[in-house]
Amino acid sequence: MPQFDAEMDRLPRGRHGLSPEFVARNQRERLITALILTLDEVGYQKTTVSLIGARAAVSKSDFYKHFRSKDECFLAAYEAAVERVRAVVLEACAGAGSVDWPGRVRAAIVALLELLAAEPPLAGILLAEGLRAGRDIHERYRSAIESFVPLLREGAPDPPGGEPAPPAIDEAVVGGIASLLGRRVAAGETASLTALAPDVLEFALAPHLGTEGARRIVSAG
Amino acid sequence: MSAARPQLSQDFVAAHKRRRMIDAMSELCAERGYEAAKIADVVRHAHVARKTLYDNFTGKEDLFLAAFDTALADAEVEIAAACAGLPPTAWEARTEAALRALLGFIAAHPAAARLALVEAPTAGPAAAARYDAAIDGFIARLRDAAPTAPGRPTTLEEALVGGTVWIMHRQVRRGDIAKAPALLPELTEFIVSPYRSVGKR
Repeated sequence: MPQFDAEMDRLPRGRHGLSPEFVARNQRERLITALILTLDEVGYQKTTVSLIGARAAVSKSDFYKHFRSKDECFLAAYEAAVERVRAVVLEACAGAGSVDWPGRVRAAIVALLELLAAEPPLAGILLAEGLRAGRDIHERYRSAIESFVPLLREGAPDPPGGEPAPPAIDEAVVGGIASLLGRRVAAGETASLTALAPDVLEFALAPHLGTEGARRIVSAG
Repeated sequence: MSAARPQLSQDFVAAHKRRRMIDAMSELCAERGYEAAKIADVVRHAHVARKTLYDNFTGKEDLFLAAFDTALADAEVEIAAACAGLPPTAWEARTEAALRALLGFIAAHPAAARLALVEAPTAGPAAAARYDAAIDGFIARLRDAAPTAPGRPTTLEEALVGGTVWIMHRQVRRGDIAKAPALLPELTEFIVSPYRSVGKR
């Protein structure tokens, strides 16, 4: 999975003896990375097949071997970005393994914010520019965000007072976090996302632990 | 010989036609999405001449924005009416009343709700900006209305409004419009409970 920072690797020119399959995979990855980087620089409207191809050092005709349109490339790029984030968050949860639920949630949130802050183009496509690219992408965004709800809910204790937190509330929490982060990314504050970790953690824990309980955990960390 | 028709004021007729065009836009967007909604279909649904549409609006986007503004304004009327009888200090009751009004509006006007919540973010940059501004407005209102206390995360209102809008979007998107009012207890609790705490962080 490529990292979405500004440098890209290129295949050597001319005959290189690499299999067509390798070249194709490499090209596809480079196009996806190029889209994400270009999007971050000029926004959705101005991200063209020409710019993407130029950035990826892939000809236009080769672009169209991989994708029917800019939007199809966009969808693939979006999926790749979601997978990257999911992998990092799952790894953080697994790494926190034997720790209790608040510990796992904290690990996931810190890993998420650190990743986004370190790779602004990734944050941009997922949470800001990606939202303006049309309904298909918006649908992907919605289902990507929703896919994190079971991660939040798993092992969550019932709130003080007995009644289990309704599933809708965990959806509201995940949706609310996505919305908050998206606003900050759109405002150009991606690099300082990690500073939001205490707020985000309190917001995520409160429906299950109560606000008092959530704050105790956040201060202890 | 037919009876003479009562003369409606020109303003009334014009406003009525404008309303029909806005409603037609909402219905069509709800059915097929903003991209697929065509001016030809709007004028047919609204029973107006094409010229009438272009006398009132510069084009599809302009009409969409007007429909968005109208949906928001209509919802505001419901919210204001619901809060009218309540003391300004009764924050939890006012929040519940406002949410009840909003959820009731969604149930009663699903096309308008869909236009504002589902279509607007992806109906072009102007619509997205309008949507963002509306969200900003709700965040500011929540911040003003909610009880102040030290230790509150500064991001709380952004997250609460974002989460509430997320749930409403989900409800509208799924077409579970009639069940929207059933969300009231959960959403009210979601919004008011963070403000009940007494401890500092």
